[in-house]
Amino acid sequence: MKTAQLEDYLPRPAQVVEVVTENSQIKSFLLRFVDKKHNAGFSYQPGQFMMVSMPHCGEAPISFSSTPATKGLIRLSVRKAGTLTSAMHELKEGSIIGLRGPYGKSFPMEYLAKRDLLFVAGGIGLAPLTSVINTCLADPEYQGRITILYGSRTPEDIAFMAEIKAWQANAAVECLLTVDLATSEWQGNTGLVTSLFDQVAINPATQSAVVCGPPMMIKAVLSALAEKGFDDHDIITTMERHMKCGVGVCRHCHMDGKLVCVDGPVFTLAQLKELNVMEIS
Amino acid sequence: MTDKFTLKKDHLTPFLRKLGKGNRLVVPLKNRHGDTLFTEIDEIDGAPLDLATQPQNSIKQFLLPQREVLSTYQLQDSGSYEFTPVVPVSGPTIFFGVRSCDLSGVLYMDVTFLQGTTDAPYRKKRLDSVLIGLNCNHPFGNCFCNATKSGPFLEYGADLQFTDIGDCYLVEVGRTKGAAIVEKWHQFFTPAEEKDTKKQYQAFLEARGSFSQLVHVDQAIKRLQEDGVPSEIWHQLSARCHDCAGCAYICPTCTCFTITDSPLTADSGERLRSWDACTFSGFTRMAGGHNPVARKTDAIRQRFMHKLCYDVQKHGRPSCVGCGRCVDMCFGGTDILRFINMACEGS
Ligand SMILES: Cc1cc2nc3c(=O)[nH]c(=O)nc-3n(C[C@H](O)[C@H](O)[C@H](O)COP(=O)(O)OP(=O)(O)OC[C@H]3O[C@@H](n4cnc5c(N)ncnc54)[C@H](O)[C@@H]3O)c2cc1C
Ligand code: SF4
Repeated sequence: MKTAQLEDYLPRPAQVVEVVTENSQIKSFLLRFVDKKHNAGFSYQPGQFMMVSMPHCGEAPISFSSTPATKGLIRLSVRKAGTLTSAMHELKEGSIIGLRGPYGKSFPMEYLAKRDLLFVAGGIGLAPLTSVINTCLADPEYQGRITILYGSRTPEDIAFMAEIKAWQANAAVECLLTVDLATSEWQGNTGLVTSLFDQVAINPATQSAVVCGPPMMIKAVLSALAEKGFDDHDIITTMERHMKCGVGVCRHCHMDGKLVCVDGPVFTLAQLKELNVMEIS
Repeated sequence: MTDKFTLKKDHLTPFLRKLGKGNRLVVPLKNRHGDTLFTEIDEIDGAPLDLATQPQNSIKQFLLPQREVLSTYQLQDSGSYEFTPVVPVSGPTIFFGVRSCDLSGVLYMDVTFLQGTTDAPYRKKRLDSVLIGLNCNHPFGNCFCNATKSGPFLEYGADLQFTDIGDCYLVEVGRTKGAAIVEKWHQFFTPAEEKDTKKQYQAFLEARGSFSQLVHVDQAIKRLQEDGVPSEIWHQLSARCHDCAGCAYICPTCTCFTITDSPLTADSGERLRSWDACTFSGFTRMAGGHNPVARKTDAIRQRFMHKLCYDVQKHGRPSCVGCGRCVDMCFGGTDILRFINMACEGS
């Protein structure tokens, strides 16, 4: 039985502390609740999301791309996709937005902390995975090996460059990039993110895979991972659906009998296989 | 103390007049066009109360209004962006004459809005409400509440439950709010005798025997849970759906909603919650236009799966209460009765 939580749908003001332009389509926002007490007591887990309000635009669900290890400051990374997200791209340092949450089930962090981790991301999909990666890296107890495979459309579309550089400089991390369309300067890998699988050590016995990206990518990656011998419980992804309430009432995010906002957004492939889900059908 | 009383029919209006003092009163009322609708009334005297017809609406709209302001927002030159909650102002409300299907509908809304997450705007209105039920002696043409086990008579859920037994009503006390009413207005109530409860049982037997629809809800549920229905059925019905949402709006248990902003000035506006429907093509459409529900083939799948399969798995019972309203409403002929019958065919 879930504990009943009183939901009044009331956003709290939060201030933009810093705006980072990740690429032409993605910006990251460092945010702090205006109410200092709320800010100090605020906690969340990687994989959870916030409902973001922008003036006259309604709300949109956005995942944390920050790690809870950094206290008092949250980061949301946003791809320009429509009305609200475009309005967010106009935000400046000092601007105020509305936030309610956190909502949703997080990644199984306790379990992941005991595993080697293979992260596979496409585009903005790296945002929620960044939260998991940096949480593991900030955890002194974490002993595993981290492998990150990140696909972008073109070299200009590679987001989270600051993070990627830090990971590439970290001996405990292997981070490989690929692009769909190379430019003449591009020295790296070209092709789908699955084409990087042969360049890294894959060991389903000790490794769990964490995947996020556009639906077509998720579909291709999930089947490639299953082929590599990963157990369905060790393939973990986060799902995107149209969402309005975030608390399991409005039902916009229905996915067969589940609701992505409260039953997810994090699901294992084992869970998805029990449902009629477009991404794996 | 007994929990069964009788109330003379002659005393109904004076009783409701008393209840109307200090309470908002919502009753089935025949309007000037001859339509019966649950309506808020100021004055019971002379009001055309209609307890013989199924109201076209349920009482859903009073607990989950079609359009409800959740909060207002203000922007200031200083850059501030603040939300102010809007507390529902309905106040104590007595719903009288709520038939078993609609009362079951409220019990289902309680599950939706008070379990797991507690929805503050719903909770306020629900705490403010008193439900006076009316058992159905004469099921209407499209009714099948017997098959959904939500009527024609109800044994629990109401604060007070009325049964027409001739020249008086048998009144059963269901919950503490009902007991408080009987105690406060005890002059209207006489402890029921055995002959009264016998009359009620007789009325129940007659009601149970007079459904004109033979609907195998259990069989359809079983089919959906076991191996599902052929996708052909979804395709056929989806192709006939006109995307009008009439079924969802009229349904006592359809509670999907959307949240939008409605600007009032450049610096202020209202955050609204309004009814939505899973059958609308935009319901699941994501930014960029991608839609995980294929409209042509699966437009109405979620509606029936939710009511007859997912809710059975989650809460142990379907969330169709058999009121039959969508059967009249749907001009595409893709109502739940049609679906249940198709699902049962060939199984
Ligand atoms: C759990 C979760 C986490 C997410 N995390 C992130 C993240 O970290 N970063 C990120 O960039 N994105 C994220 N997204 C995606 C993000 O929420 C969407 O891109 C965003 O909601 C788009 O909002 P918009 O106003 O810019 O788009 P718009 O397309 O303008 O509209 C918003 C919504 O309204 C719907 N809509 C538009 N027109 C209609 C219509 N005519 N009828 C009905 N509905 C309509 C759209 O389908 C869309 O869902 C996440 C989504 C989910 C579910
Ligand atoms: S699905 Fe139709 S018959 Fe069932 S409760 Fe809703 S409106 Fe009534």
